[in-house]
Amino acid sequence: MATALLILHGLVAMALLGAITHQAVAIWVPLPTRPESFIGRFRAVSSDSFTNAVVVLYVLSAILGGIVYLYFRVEIKPVLEQTEHWQTISLFDIKEHFIAIGMALLPAYWVSWQEIIDREYSSSRIALTVMLTFIVWYGFLIGHIANNVRGFGL
Amino acid sequence: MNASHAFRRFAFAFGPAFAVTYVSAFKQDIAMFTVYPTRLLSFKTTQYMQDVTSANGLPAMHWYGWMATAALGAIIIGVFAILIPDRWLPWIWQGWVWLIPLVAMLMCVYFTLPMLRN
Repeated sequence: MATALLILHGLVAMALLGAITHQAVAIWVPLPTRPESFIGRFRAVSSDSFTNAVVVLYVLSAILGGIVYLYFRVEIKPVLEQTEHWQTISLFDIKEHFIAIGMALLPAYWVSWQEIIDREYSSSRIALTVMLTFIVWYGFLIGHIANNVRGFGL
Repeated sequence: MNASHAFRRFAFAFGPAFAVTYVSAFKQDIAMFTVYPTRLLSFKTTQYMQDVTSANGLPAMHWYGWMATAALGAIIIGVFAILIPDRWLPWIWQGWVWLIPLVAMLMCVYFTLPMLRN
């Protein structure tokens, strides 16, 4: 059960990672002309079309992560403590904090993408998108490191 | 004030308020409830092993409780933000919506540093 949930959590996280990375790249380096290269097309997506998907995937991923965290806390963390993987535990704890704060930013993120906004709100939109992108990437990478810590030889 | 305008205010207050209350709850260990995984029971407020003997000696989990504490505080502040008079709005910088959570995230890292240095 835990393994199935972990795989599902990972798949949802992958989808979220793709959606928010597309949006962040499109908003950060918008393309003025018709793209021809792969990178250009990656940058040229309609960035506002990802907003609802990002919100739904973030919440779904956080809920699944919250459930998987029960198994992690009971079965994995004690082993990491016994083997003195303090840095891995610390980085994972930071991930928990970031994910919680990121989830609270979703309403403001969603609102900032809903309408044509003035310049001041536009900077909030960019900042919130970049912050959420960082949180998602950090959570994804640290989740994988914690999951595969013995394979890293740490 | 229409519903979308009120929700906009709520949303822009909720994120920073949650970040502040979350860091406070984390630092002061103020969890609205504690979860014991095996018993799937939760108790009011932060509790430790010496307070309540967990079945099989398994851990007390506070993260969910910290989030609940922060959410409650943020909802209260968010509702308060809806009630703020319009004439006050020009004095409130929109950048707080991302700057406060950013500082909160850095504080979370700072509070975790002692364990990270081990």
